[in-house]
Amino acid sequence: MSSVYPTSPGPARPDRDGDQQLRLLDDAWEKAVPFWQDDIARQFGTHHWMPLRHESRLYLEALRAMMDLLDAAERDTEQ
Amino acid sequence: MTAIHADIDALTELRAALTRFRYAQREVAERGGDAIEATRASLEAKASRWRARLEQGRAELEACRDRAAADQDGPLDCSGYARAVGEADERLEHIRHWQQRIDQQVMEFAGAASRFKNLLETDLPRAEERLAAIIVSLHAARGVLPPGS
Repeated sequence: MSSVYPTSPGPARPDRDGDQQLRLLDDAWEKAVPFWQDDIARQFGTHHWMPLRHESRLYLEALRAMMDLLDAAERDTEQ
Repeated sequence: MTAIHADIDALTELRAALTRFRYAQREVAERGGDAIEATRASLEAKASRWRARLEQGRAELEACRDRAAADQDGPLDCSGYARAVGEADERLEHIRHWQQRIDQQVMEFAGAASRFKNLLETDLPRAEERLAAIIVSLHAARGVLPPGS
């Protein structure tokens, strides 16, 4: 389902804020990686970072689909 | 801290970012749940209004038909009432359709939401603790005290 961004200012959708938070976390990870290349880093990446990112992405995609549906329901049932 | 401890600085910042992420996403998840409840309430309010209009329309149509049956002077047109009943019925059905779609989507969403909640409450704090331990060990290996020690 496609996402339609509002043209007028309104309350921010939680899925978009969630995406933004994940981008910030990605940035922090990217900044740390050049300084952290040992086995411990690889283990952390495998056991913590990758599952965290994967599960966050799945949730934020599900949340976006949910918010799209809620928006569509409100629009389509306007009186 | 000097450039020689750049890795410690980077890991300290990563750990802080993980903590910020945990709090921010907890709020995101709460707002997501609130949005679902708000839309459900909004649809229920709309359905309630159309149910009331439908009941009123049916009563008016019935009264019109009673008058038409009793009227000796000529035909009485009740088509406007019939149209109003049809529209109210259609709008109510449309809202019910959206309510069912949302209920179904919420069931599908619940799995991802539950796993994400578990991530925020269990896995993420564990990752933060792991990073904290790594940072402490790096400090110890270089013979420097961690900040706040």
